Amino acid sequence: MSDLTVDTRDVEDVTVLYPRGFINAHTVRGFDGAIQKAVARRRFQIVVNCEGLTYIASAGLGAMMGAIEEIRASGGDLRMAAPNETVQNIFEILGFNHLYRTYPSEAEAVESFRKGGQAAS
Amino acid sequence: MPASGRRAKPALVVKIPSETSYLALVRDLTKKMAETAGFPEATADRLALAVDEATTNVIEHAYKGASDQEIELRFEDRGTEFRVEIVDTGKMVDPRTVPRVDLERFVTERRTGGLGMHLMEKIMDSVTFRRSARRNVCLLVKRKEPGAAP
Repeated sequence: MSDLTVDTRDVEDVTVLYPRGFINAHTVRGFDGAIQKAVARRRFQIVVNCEGLTYIASAGLGAMMGAIEEIRASGGDLRMAAPNETVQNIFEILGFNHLYRTYPSEAEAVESFRKGGQAAS
Repeated sequence: MPASGRRAKPALVVKIPSETSYLALVRDLTKKMAETAGFPEATADRLALAVDEATTNVIEHAYKGASDQEIELRFEDRGTEFRVEIVDTGKMVDPRTVPRVDLERFVTERRTGGLGMHLMEKIMDSVTFRRSARRNVCLLVKRKEPGAAP
């Protein structure tokens, strides 16, 4: 089994990414590539469903930060859903919760775009 | 889980190739060693992240991505503290040149470097670098005192 797979699904105007496995310096290209593909398709409302994500190192956080300006400048946002305790903890250590909205479930994250919620910063 | 916690033990020394494919092993090993030293799982997870980041820094900066080099990891339970040394023979990287993290600037300037260093400093009680016998030594220390920072 691969260390990381990233499936993508469009839910109306929202694109949901499903990273499964862990994201570190070894696997980050797959995650970064999935974000970049969504941006290239001009899908700027992105949810990262973290249910299958066991762990994320700074490389993965960097991939998100590298894309967020273009996403927000295009009227979109990148939001997190369902991070496990380990991943949530890493977000908190870095203060990511101030930069990225996080929701308990994918449905709530997707719905947040329908309500026209603003980016976290 | 041994409650032995407060007695110093001989160090465990492991050498790995400078390949990112070994980072998962580094993480698993660090977590196991931290739990054996008496840290709860959540803290052990964070310590594993810090060592992952330090090892990644060596691969990316000291060895500039070369995969044919060697990295030595030295785990030591000193009773009152857990120490991990990450040793390389690559280019010396002055940690003072690593910009400190400013999340707002990360977003507006698309800067993604320095996050690892920031995480290491947040997680560990002490992060120090020294040059010794043509080797770079990054020392990460986590104290075991009850009530210490998580």
